[in-house]
Amino acid sequence: MAAANLNTIRATIEGRLATELALSPAIPVVFHNQPYVPTPNSTWVQCLVSFGANNYLTLGGTTGSSNSIIGVIAINIFTPKGAGPGANLTIGKRIRDLYNRVVVSGVHFDPPIGPEVVAAPAPEGFFQTQVRLTFETFEDL
Amino acid sequence: MAFYRGQQGSVKFDDAGATAVAIASTRSWSMTVEKESLDTTALGNTYRANVGGLISGSGTVELLYTASSADETNLFIEHVNTANDEGTALFELYLDTTGTKAIIFDGVITSAEYTATVGEIEVITCSFVSNGTITLNI
Repeated sequence: MAAANLNTIRATIEGRLATELALSPAIPVVFHNQPYVPTPNSTWVQCLVSFGANNYLTLGGTTGSSNSIIGVIAINIFTPKGAGPGANLTIGKRIRDLYNRVVVSGVHFDPPIGPEVVAAPAPEGFFQTQVRLTFETFEDL
Repeated sequence: MAFYRGQQGSVKFDDAGATAVAIASTRSWSMTVEKESLDTTALGNTYRANVGGLISGSGTVELLYTASSADETNLFIEHVNTANDEGTALFELYLDTTGTKAIIFDGVITSAEYTATVGEIEVITCSFVSNGTITLNI
């Protein structure tokens, strides 16, 4: 066993979304630290993965023990302003179904929150909602 | 002064009572060693008198379910279901990672509680009592 590879976990999470949003109707998706200038009145998604608390799971030292790694995924869905929420919520459902209670490569996804409407979209000029969920994975040392 | 944190502990077990091996995914253990007291107060005494009696131990081991099979961890969580248990299973409860500070005894697993709760890791809690000598190498 070895310490968890956080980049592999990130790739698992982001790859799942990238694969889904590449399907028809395809939607551009951007991740942390990627430059992106959205086209006005377009539809696009931003996915932000962050790692949070790490906790002891079992007794033991640096070998033969396990930790819990918890993180959060915030997915912002942007759709054209002034066109109602329907298109946005349709994307929200795709994303929600993608993670809801799913276990992939040892990453356990919790039931998502949202899509919640964001009162002050960032960037401006879009209708924005956000889907958030926590995930947990286990590190075996 | 050296202090220890809980994660430095560990549990070893051997159902055959020979060479104990580590139980995987142990989350906690606890043990209480008790000595009965025998009242030797005589008539007319002002203060109660006691002497020590029989010594016994009991406790619990809490571990996370990992679907292990064909190893001591699996035997440990199933040992409560052993027929004709003669109490010869070997327990070693360690307080430090170097594996020298331990409570060692033969015992019987008297109960196992298997739990599955939504949103939580599945946990098994096994309770035990000692059989015979308890060695405190602590």
